[in-house]
Amino acid sequence: MKNNILIIGGGPAGLEASAQLQRMGYNVILIERSPKLGGHLAKWDRLFPDRVPADEVLRSLLDATEGVKCFTDTDIRAINRLDKSYNVRLTNGITVLSDAVLVASGFDLFNAVRKEEYGYGIYNQVMTNADLEAYFRTGEDRRIENPRKVGFVHCVGSRDEKAGCRSCSKVCCATAVKQAIEMKQAFPEAEVFCFYMDLRLFGRHYEDLYLEAQKEYGVRFIRGRVAEVSENFDGTLLVKAEDTVASKPLKVTLDLLVLMAGMRPSASGKALGELLGMNVEDDGYFAVRSGIAAGQRSQQPGIFLAGAATGPKTLPETLADARAAAMEVDRYLTEVFPDARNYKQLVKERW
Amino acid sequence: MTPLSYLLAAQAEVPEVIDRIPSGFSYFVIPFTVGVAFMFCWLGVGLIRLLADIPKEDRIKFGKSLFIPKVALKNIKELFCDCLFHVKIWQRKPLLGYMHSAIAFGWFMIIILGHIEVALFVPARLNVTRGGLFYPIFYRYFVWMNPGHTTLRGSFFFFLMDFFLLYILSGIALAIFKRFRSIVLGMRHTTKPSFADRVALYSLWMIFPLRLLAESFTADLSGGSFLTIPVNQFWHFLFGDKLWFMPCWWAYSICLGLFFAAMPFSRYMHILTEVLWILLRNAGVKPNHPRKGVAEAEIYACSSCGLCLDACPMNVQKKNLKYSSVYFIRFLRRHNEKKINAIADKCLMCDKCHALCPVGVDAPALRRAQRATVNNTMPYNYAYLDASGSVQPSEPGRVHSRFAAAENGLSPESAPADSTQPCHANPGVLYFAGCMTHLTPRIIKSVEKVFKAAGVEYAFADREGGICCGRPLMLAGRTDAAAKVIEANKQMIEASGCKTLVLSCPICYKIFKEEYHLEGINVVHYTQFINELIAAGRLDVKKTDEKIVYHDPCELGRGCGVYLEPRAALSQVGTLVKASKEYDESICCGGSLGSLTLDTHDRAKISQASLQALLSGNPETIVTACPLCLKTFSEAVSRGENLEQHVKVKDFAEAICP
Ligand SMILES: Cc1cc2nc3c(=O)[nH]c(=O)nc-3n(C[C@H](O)[C@H](O)[C@H](O)COP(=O)(O)OP(=O)(O)OC[C@H]3O[C@@H](n4cnc5c(N)ncnc54)[C@H](O)[C@@H]3O)c2cc1C
Ligand code: SF4
Ligand code: SF4
Ligand code: SF4
Repeated sequence: MKNNILIIGGGPAGLEASAQLQRMGYNVILIERSPKLGGHLAKWDRLFPDRVPADEVLRSLLDATEGVKCFTDTDIRAINRLDKSYNVRLTNGITVLSDAVLVASGFDLFNAVRKEEYGYGIYNQVMTNADLEAYFRTGEDRRIENPRKVGFVHCVGSRDEKAGCRSCSKVCCATAVKQAIEMKQAFPEAEVFCFYMDLRLFGRHYEDLYLEAQKEYGVRFIRGRVAEVSENFDGTLLVKAEDTVASKPLKVTLDLLVLMAGMRPSASGKALGELLGMNVEDDGYFAVRSGIAAGQRSQQPGIFLAGAATGPKTLPETLADARAAAMEVDRYLTEVFPDARNYKQLVKERW
Repeated sequence: MTPLSYLLAAQAEVPEVIDRIPSGFSYFVIPFTVGVAFMFCWLGVGLIRLLADIPKEDRIKFGKSLFIPKVALKNIKELFCDCLFHVKIWQRKPLLGYMHSAIAFGWFMIIILGHIEVALFVPARLNVTRGGLFYPIFYRYFVWMNPGHTTLRGSFFFFLMDFFLLYILSGIALAIFKRFRSIVLGMRHTTKPSFADRVALYSLWMIFPLRLLAESFTADLSGGSFLTIPVNQFWHFLFGDKLWFMPCWWAYSICLGLFFAAMPFSRYMHILTEVLWILLRNAGVKPNHPRKGVAEAEIYACSSCGLCLDACPMNVQKKNLKYSSVYFIRFLRRHNEKKINAIADKCLMCDKCHALCPVGVDAPALRRAQRATVNNTMPYNYAYLDASGSVQPSEPGRVHSRFAAAENGLSPESAPADSTQPCHANPGVLYFAGCMTHLTPRIIKSVEKVFKAAGVEYAFADREGGICCGRPLMLAGRTDAAAKVIEANKQMIEASGCKTLVLSCPICYKIFKEEYHLEGINVVHYTQFINELIAAGRLDVKKTDEKIVYHDPCELGRGCGVYLEPRAALSQVGTLVKASKEYDESICCGGSLGSLTLDTHDRAKISQASLQALLSGNPETIVTACPLCLKTFSEAVSRGENLEQHVKVKDFAEAICP
């Protein structure tokens, strides 16, 4: 008998896990609340560190999901646990009896309106990293018209207690460096500044990207938080920051300001978590079972977690997480789930 | 049953009252006399020390103030209203007010009436050498009423004495009840009593019931009225003819003595200190140290009533109770340096405890003074004040920006060529946004929109950034640094030649109004300015049926007393609904700059409580007139914890000119 596995969230994590479990012979049902599969990956243009087109990566992920039952525009309406399985009612009216559930509900981009001092939604010439990706994809944005001076603000809504987020979003430093280079490529005449607290370029090849930005493209990195932004009469922006290396305040006029909005726990994920009775930690992301070795198991037997639902991750990390989750699901469905007599004992020992 | 007094034959020309004991003394008065004498000595020494700690000019100012008729009148009024009638407590919590005034006013009246009786009937005994200290207190013990000769006047006093005794007893009954069930009187939190508090408290509870016992035991001798006579008859009914009243008088005297001896070390010290504090306060002398001089009178005037516990927004979390003003004051009294600093730094400086304190203890000011003892000595870098050259007073109409342009190797063109910004020859109106408003650009946008719509000619003092108004430094206790900043800003503003200075931040407004002393310049908050524009017909507004609730920012409401103008203006654009706590009871948004140590988690809890109060009338929009509140509420609403309804958060100017 093939076990049913429900995967919630059709982003990179959900797609990769479905593909893996499908290959192992399970009956995979993938649901995605938006009309399109791909999650945030579908919104990006090129990916750091190698600047490969995001569409290519997405295509290969989608190709591998051949045979997976996919419902888009679908969310969960209700869920209840039977003895061992979950009875899940979907918003499209279908009911699924599922032996394991994988939550891959991903993240939300920080709403930059909340950092009002940066003027997103108030000044015309302020955009976010996601807006800039959209511009690179479509070539259209009313804010971008041969800009001469462009600034990138790191850590918008991350590492900021006042914005309700203490931790680092991991991806935005690399994204900023990548986008700074892309900006220089598109507008070689432009001066580009990055305002950072410290650069967290931890991954393989990230440092190369950073050196390239400095050496080949002349991107200026300024250590210091942007204090405030105001708008000049001509619509340009006056940015005030403190250069903490020179320990001096500085002021610069820019044509365009790009905010590196960070990753926040997904709101629809949160609603889902409430339905499933899953705990979140102080940072708002789902709590895993416990400790370092817990991997992708949630605190509820039979429910697994993958991708950005458990905290900021880059794409390679997300995909690795999804594969690991597939392994965990498989182990559970072969070693614990079938043993009806000892199920409770096994869950106690192994979950 | 033959009451003793009938044994005295009625004679013509005999006095109404007979001084029963020729020596005018009995041993039982000793405990009381010792206690009270001890208290007076202690207080006398304390008073001298306190006055010695006040700077000389303040002492002279204080002395003179007592003879200024206006101040004297105010003193008398406040002494009666605050010390005896406790009007402020009445206003907040009627039952609690009744309790306090019953004990204070009732006791006061009994003492006064006792003295009047002595003065009328045995005047010689008022003399200190003939027992003046205790005789009026134990009057009923020392005299015999001459039954056939009781006059109307005498009965009148009997009645009054019984009446006030009953009045006090009702207050005491409430007090005892309150200890056990403080909730009923509308207080969520009561203070924890110290040892001396306890001694004083229990003896206070005992004093008046014992007085009733003692006086009722002797009522057939020395007279009584509707209370003491029936009780006396009851005792006779129970115990027969012979009543052993001495133990009662002893107990009464011991309790009084204990109370007065414990008083200087207990919270009841406030009864006397409050008098001094009112006189000092009305003389206009301010504390310059958190504990010495005027502050000493102030901290000992605190009655530990605990009203500030309920007032304090930090106390939405029980763990923060320890940071309340009443405990701050208690630790100041006990010289507990470590705890004092921690408590002083925690407070939001929202001023609510001050506004609601029945004694008018300005605990936030004491906290500022305490912070100054630590923070004012810290090194501080003023280099930025003259970073880009000094202001140019010779050039009226030009507002100079102080920010260093394009430093740090950025190309110089990156800043506008001229960093001074031309304005009208005589701008009339100068708008100073301040650092907080610069963090909330939508306020600037809206204010400028309003100015434009009303055709106001104005200059923007700090479009490209200015220096801080100094209030945050002041709140942190960095008084000297604040003075430097104030001086620099003052020059800039005076050089502009403006007539009206408009501020969109209440934090700036408060300090500009109180500390800048800008001669000939009308300093207004934008709510006042815009309200006037509307009233003068210069600004057209459209009335909608949007349900608006207005949040009183701490620094604007309690800080500067501006409550009505913003409401008047807002009622022109929407329908104002009430918040469950408003005006001087408004709850701090939680974002206040005042606290130096409160963390985001605690602040978020306060924001929630404040929001809850604002949402009680189901508004669609929360309007505030402070950049900090705007930011805090926007954040809290977007976090959306425990919020059923969705509300918008708008700035005042934004609401007026959408
Ligand atoms: C600005 C930016 C740029 C980035 N660029 C790069 C890059 O260049 N290289 C790189 O390696 N990484 C990059 N990343 C990281 C990358 O986007 C993430 O690692 C990846 O998107 C995480 O995938 P995910 O599936 O966990 O979450 P998501 O991509 O967020 O997908 C989650 C999916 O779940 C769906 N969902 C949520 N809740 C429900 C529900 N209740 N029911 C049904 N469906 C639901 C959502 O609609 C969404 O489609 C970037 C991130 C940001 C913010
Ligand atoms: S990755 Fe960089 S920009 Fe993003 S939160 Fe971390 S430090 Fe800030
Ligand atoms: S500070 Fe004022 S309100 Fe607080 S306990 Fe003392 S007297 Fe009462
Ligand atoms: S000023 Fe406000 S926060 Fe501070 S103790 Fe008083 S009520 Fe509490």
